Amino acid sequence: MKDAWRLALRNLARNRRRNLATGVAIAFGFAGMMLLGGYAIRIESFLRTNAVYLQRVGHLAIYKEGGLEKASTKPAKYGLDAAEQARVAEVLAAEPEVELTARYLRGVGLAGNGCKSVPFTALGVEPEVEARLLGHPEVQRVSPELARPVRGKPLAEYPAVDGAVALSTGLARLLGKSRIHDEIAGAAPEAGLPDCAAPDATARLAADANVQLAGLTYGGSLSAIDGEIVNVFRTPLAETEDGTLVATLEGLQRLYETDQVTYMAAFLKDDGRAKALAPVLERRLREAGLAVSVYPFDDERISPYYVGSMGMIGSIVLFIGVLVTAVVSLSMLNAMTLTVLERTREIGMFRALGFTRRQMLGLFLREATALTVLALGAGALLGGAVAAAVNAANIRFKPPGISGDMQLLITPTAGLCLTLVAILLPLSLLVTLRAVRRRTRERVVTLLTEAAA
Amino acid sequence: MKRHILSLIGLLMVSAAHAETPDATELLRASDRSRGGIASGITWQIDLQAVEDGETSTRAYLVKAKGNDALAEATAPPRNKGEVMLFNDRTIWFVKPGLRKPVSISARQRLSGEAANGDIASTNYARDYDGAVVGEETVNGQPAWKLELKAKAKNVTYDRIRYWISKDRRLGVKAEFLTVSGDVFKIATFDYGNRMTVDGVELDFVSRMTITDASQPSDITTITFREPKAESHPASLFNINNVGR
Repeated sequence: MKDAWRLALRNLARNRRRNLATGVAIAFGFAGMMLLGGYAIRIESFLRTNAVYLQRVGHLAIYKEGGLEKASTKPAKYGLDAAEQARVAEVLAAEPEVELTARYLRGVGLAGNGCKSVPFTALGVEPEVEARLLGHPEVQRVSPELARPVRGKPLAEYPAVDGAVALSTGLARLLGKSRIHDEIAGAAPEAGLPDCAAPDATARLAADANVQLAGLTYGGSLSAIDGEIVNVFRTPLAETEDGTLVATLEGLQRLYETDQVTYMAAFLKDDGRAKALAPVLERRLREAGLAVSVYPFDDERISPYYVGSMGMIGSIVLFIGVLVTAVVSLSMLNAMTLTVLERTREIGMFRALGFTRRQMLGLFLREATALTVLALGAGALLGGAVAAAVNAANIRFKPPGISGDMQLLITPTAGLCLTLVAILLPLSLLVTLRAVRRRTRERVVTLLTEAAA
Repeated sequence: MKRHILSLIGLLMVSAAHAETPDATELLRASDRSRGGIASGITWQIDLQAVEDGETSTRAYLVKAKGNDALAEATAPPRNKGEVMLFNDRTIWFVKPGLRKPVSISARQRLSGEAANGDIASTNYARDYDGAVVGEETVNGQPAWKLELKAKAKNVTYDRIRYWISKDRRLGVKAEFLTVSGDVFKIATFDYGNRMTVDGVELDFVSRMTITDASQPSDITTITFREPKAESHPASLFNINNVGR
C-alpha cells in the first residue's frame, strides 16, 4: 500500500508543469471559495448580531397575538400589560437555553427643539439589560463600533438624569443638537422659545442637550415630556439614521401613559437554536394562558433586512461556487485525460505484468488524491494569508443599507474549509474516475498496440 | 332653421348655467365664517367624543380664535387641564405645564379618534386650499355645490378634500378627506344648530362635526361646538412666549 502511494507521488512528478497548473487551479479555486465564504460568514454574523442585539429583536421576539402587525396602529390593544410581562418572564426564566430577557416599548412621535419638530421612532429599553446586551461578547466581537455610542455613554450610566435619551446621529443633526449632556457641563436649558430666525439660532439651539418628545398616549391624547440627550449613536440601518431615539422604558411609558410593552425579547445562549425553540416556547406560553406569538430573529416579518440580505448573498455565493467548482472539475478532467492518454502504453505494461484493472484505477486515484490534497493545502495557506492580509489592512467600506462604514473582514472558519474539502476532493476523484475508467478496461493488447500506433 | 334656433337656445342655457356657478373661493370664504374663520375674534367650547373599537373617550377644549391664530386650551379630562395648542397661522405649538419648551406639532397629527389637530381650530379653507366647483349634488335633502379642494401647502390638515357647500345658506355640509392618491379615508358631516352675531350680522355657526373612518365606519368622532360668541382677543394671547406663563 505504501509503495502504491510512493509510486503515485513519483508519477505526479513526471509531468510537473501540467500537474502544477492543475494544482494551481484547484488551489486558487479553493482559496477563492474560502475568501468568499469567509466574507459571507462575516456579513451573516454582522447582520445577525445587529438584528438580534442592536435592533433589539432578540433571538426570539414575543408579541401579543396580532401585535407584530397591529401594535403600531392599536398599541393599547396589542401591547403586553404588566401581568402578561410577568408571566412571560416567568416562563422564559424556566427555560435553560435563554440567556437574557428584555422588555421593549416601541412608539412614534415628534422630537422638538423649540424651533422645529422631527418625527421619531422610539424604543424604550431597560438600561441595565441594555448595558449587558451592548457589552455582550458576541456584540463586542462582531459589531463593537455600532454598539459604542458616537458620543456619550450608555443610558445605564445616567440614572440621575431625568428623561435621559439617546438620539441617532441623523436625528440629533436635524434637531441642531450638536452637544450632549456631558459636553454641556451642567448649563441650564434656555427658558422659553429661542428666536429661531436670529443669526445665532443654531448656536443657541446647540447650547443645551434638551429636547421635547411629543406623542399620542395609549389613551389617545397628546402628551409630551422633556428629554436630555446623553448619547448619540449610529443605527444599524441607514434608513433609520434620521429618526431613531432610544429612551428608558420608564421614560417612554411616561410619555405614552402606559405600563405596557410592545414585545419581549429572549436572547439565547446558542444562535442556532432560535428556529427550533420558537414553537416550543410559544406552546409553553400558551399553556400558561398567554395569547402570544413567538418569532425567531430570522423570520422575514421580524428582520426583513437580515433575511433579504442573506438571501441575496447566498445566491451570489452559490453562483460563484458553481462556477469555481466547474473550473476545478474541468481542469482536473483535462489533466487526467491527457495523463491517461500519454500513459496508455504504461497502463498496458502494468496490465501485462499482472496488475489488475482495479489496481490501475487505484494508482490514478491515488495520484489525483495526492494532487488535490496538496493543492487544497496550498489553497488553504493562500486563502488564510490573503484573509489575514486583508484583515490587517483595515480596509473600510460602506455596505448598502448600513449606516456608516465598516471594516472589510474575512473570517473563514474551519467548518467552511472542511466543507469545501468535502466538496472538492470527492469531485476531483469522481472526475478522475470518469477520465481513467474506460482506458483501464481496455484489453492489454489494445492498450499496447494503440500506444505503439 | 329650427335646428339653429334649438342650438342657440342650448348655448344660451349652458352660458346661463356657467354664469350661475359661483366662484369657489367666495363659496369657501362664506362657509369658513360659519366654521370659525372670522377675522375679528371668536370664542367657543368643544366637546370631543371619540369611539374607537367600541371604546369611548371624551375631552373638552376652550377655543379662542382671531384671524389666522387660535388657542385651544384643554379643560377636560382633569389630567389634561392646562395643556394648550396654539395655532399661529399654519404652525401649531403644543404647550404642557412643566414642559421646558413648547413642541411644534402638525395639523395632520391625530388629536383624538378621527379628529386631527387642525379640526378643532377655526377653519380657513379659502386660505389653505385651491378650490374648484365641480358639480351640484343633494346632501341630506339640501342642494349643494360640490367642490374639489387641493392643499396649497404641505402643512395644512388634509391634502385633498371633496367639500359640499349648501346652495341656499352657503354652509359646508359634508366633506370627504382624501389621501394624496385620492382615496377617501375620513368622511365628515356638519350641523349648524348655533347662531351668533358678528359685526351686527347674524350667522349660522357649526354645532357639530361628525367624522367617520372610511374603512371602519363604527369608529366615529363627534366634535360638538358650544357657546360660540364674538369676542375680541389681544394679539398677545397668541404669542407663544406668553402661553403657559
